[in-house]
Amino acid sequence: MNTFQQFRVLYRQFLFRLMDVELLSASAGGDASALLGQFGALLIFGSLLLSLGAFGISYLTTEPGLSREAVAAVVWSEENFMVSVTMLVVGVFALLSWDATFLDRRDVLVLAPLPIRGPTLCAAKIAAAASALGLTVAAWNSLAGFAWPIALAPHGAGVVCTMRLVAAFWITFLVAGTFLYCAVLGVQAVAAQLPRRWYLRVSSVLQIAALVLFFGVFFFQPSLANAKALGAPENQRALAWLPSYWFMGLLSEVSGTYAAEGHVVMAPLALRAVVSLGVAIFVAGGAFLLSYLRTLRKIAEEPDIVPGSRGGIWLPRFGNSPQTALAQFVIRTLLRSRRHRAVLAFYLGGGCAIVAVYLEGGGIHETWMDIVGRVNGLILVASVLMLCAAWLGTRTVFSLPLDLLANWLFRITPAPRSVDCLSAVRRALLALAVLPVWVATAALLLWFWPWTPAAQHLLLLGMLGSLLVDISLRGFRKIPFTCSYLPGKSKAHMLFWFGIIPLVIAIHKLVGLELRAMANPLSYWAMAAALAAAAFAARKLTNASANRSGPEIQVEESASAELVGLGLGRYP
Amino acid sequence: MLELRSVSKRFLGIPAVDNVSFSARAGEVTGYLGPNGSGKTTTMKMITGLIETTAGEIFFDGQPIRADLLGFKQRVGYVPEEPYLYSHLSGLEYLVMVGQLRDLPPKPTVERIDGLLRLLSLHSDRHAPISAYSKGMRQKVLLSAALLHNPDLILLDEPFSGLDVSTSLVLRSLIQELAARGKVVLFSSHELETVERVCSHVVILHHGKVVADDSIERLRTLMALPTLEEIFSQLAVEQDTAAVSRQIADLIRA
Repeated sequence: MNTFQQFRVLYRQFLFRLMDVELLSASAGGDASALLGQFGALLIFGSLLLSLGAFGISYLTTEPGLSREAVAAVVWSEENFMVSVTMLVVGVFALLSWDATFLDRRDVLVLAPLPIRGPTLCAAKIAAAASALGLTVAAWNSLAGFAWPIALAPHGAGVVCTMRLVAAFWITFLVAGTFLYCAVLGVQAVAAQLPRRWYLRVSSVLQIAALVLFFGVFFFQPSLANAKALGAPENQRALAWLPSYWFMGLLSEVSGTYAAEGHVVMAPLALRAVVSLGVAIFVAGGAFLLSYLRTLRKIAEEPDIVPGSRGGIWLPRFGNSPQTALAQFVIRTLLRSRRHRAVLAFYLGGGCAIVAVYLEGGGIHETWMDIVGRVNGLILVASVLMLCAAWLGTRTVFSLPLDLLANWLFRITPAPRSVDCLSAVRRALLALAVLPVWVATAALLLWFWPWTPAAQHLLLLGMLGSLLVDISLRGFRKIPFTCSYLPGKSKAHMLFWFGIIPLVIAIHKLVGLELRAMANPLSYWAMAAALAAAAFAARKLTNASANRSGPEIQVEESASAELVGLGLGRYP
Repeated sequence: MLELRSVSKRFLGIPAVDNVSFSARAGEVTGYLGPNGSGKTTTMKMITGLIETTAGEIFFDGQPIRADLLGFKQRVGYVPEEPYLYSHLSGLEYLVMVGQLRDLPPKPTVERIDGLLRLLSLHSDRHAPISAYSKGMRQKVLLSAALLHNPDLILLDEPFSGLDVSTSLVLRSLIQELAARGKVVLFSSHELETVERVCSHVVILHHGKVVADDSIERLRTLMALPTLEEIFSQLAVEQDTAAVSRQIADLIRA
């Protein structure tokens, strides 16, 4: 039995299967390598954007007026940023590939009867995950990992010194990424010791909690990147919980660039980085090995999808029978699909992070209770931003299929009228995206604010939600989760993420108008009427578009023509 | 009556179904037989409207189905060959959804679903997700979904696949009962013994073409062969099965 050959074959299979081929249309032919290429290209593009900042920093650090301490602070701050961003990318990757770490049921049923040893399977999975991790780190830092070290190299440093700094960056990125990945793996492996059904329930909670933690630490961690702050005793407790600073210390020690002034504060951090890496690898490796061999049998015997409760999820009616069937199907699918919830959590986590940065910047001299306890624009902007994140995330996951081959049911049953179908999807989107944010906002505002401004904002927020929903459903001829998906067609959410800063500014300005209008009933009702008219018009246009497109429901995504218009406002 | 007239289907120029014509009458059980890859499932999919015909026309009760596809779909019950289901739903949720999609009245539909689940021994597992169901259980869900709306035309593609003996016997009787009540039943199966017992009329497909279309009795008489299996072997099996099995045994021994 050629174990190495078995390992090689399995390694290739697992590596390419990290991308979910069920998302691909039948016409794509299951070409996961194309999807991997797109994923890699996205990361490289991100690296390009990141490396553009290096030019500005390079100029800044060569300013003659800056002191050595100031230059060191800038350099350390940027190094910490680079390490933090890499760790964030690795963390998100680890969460998105959470389910790929263990074999799934199909793997077990196909591979277990073959004469393949458990350790070979395990090793192939680990190797595939490690390769994917390495490729992710390499792609993300492919340009930035050279631009930044060169930009941050001390003025007058020679080629050897600069090359050493480049090597130090790459070593640090890989080590930091490995630490975080092993930490996530360790948590997952420890959770996998639970009975399989409990693990399936707990894992989705852990995924979301980890996502919130990663984004929260990234945006909330205090800025301690100067010698005084790093050495201060009162900050040592915080530093114990901020891994990016440990690896920043490692970077400084390995590069030796700031040995003179930084060694005293950086050396303990570097030691902590190395020790934590060792602990993470040990715990993850041990727990993973233990659980892997135990879970192989459990996986074959247990369903992958979290079992429903005995009575199922009770849901109200959403209109006539076909509308109710579609809306309930959409809601149940999102609530029960871990994959879709993970993608949604990514958008919600991003929204939370943007809100956190906005609130932090706007209320820098106030406590949280001060911000929440009075009528102010910060909370209004936060509610609108969360609404946008929830709307965008939910609308995006509607395009991702689940059990694609099972959509034959919708093709052979008499299709509901396109307006009825659209109505059902609209109601589901309102229930899943707008309603939770609206309810949470209502609970917060009605508790802390006088009821008049609270009610005023809630009315506008509800109408805004309705407007967004109808805008995003224009031309939508599908039942969510039942149509194939071709990556690269969606442009609207790419526009959103790249336009986030102008969007926040625009929302800030509009909320300013809202605040002023709240004090003047005439202005307020004029604003409400305008928003209501816009929501009504959007509803009419969306319904008209549905009527024009005909009764057939789309179940197969079509490839783009060779010449493609930008259509930045369109959804797939 | 279901009638196919010169129906063909080509995939990239290759004929999967080639000029197939036959009819299935109400009150009769029509067996649709053929080796793997002969075009049975493709034909079923064309009848249900899942795929379009390349040529020819399909009629139901004298009307082309394309003239009112919506109306036709309301009268068809279909059990596909592969039990693709939404595995995150429970069996009960899936059937309720099917009833709602077909706009059936809620209360009688729920009672009907409950009855079907009990009779097919699925009632105790109705709240479990379909992902936890065995193949036979999924088949029962498909069968229930196909019969829920009391269709006039019932298409069954390998319906016995995965069923236990008792359920197979129930299904066999059910098929005959449905035909006796005036339904048009067209079903394909590889279990020739079952087909011989249940069907009054068979259509045999080979390489996408109809090679036999008659009652089993007449085929026995015409071909002077006592069983459907021998008739099928003569018409649709090209290999010398004994020689092939010897060659396989020799090959793996080598």
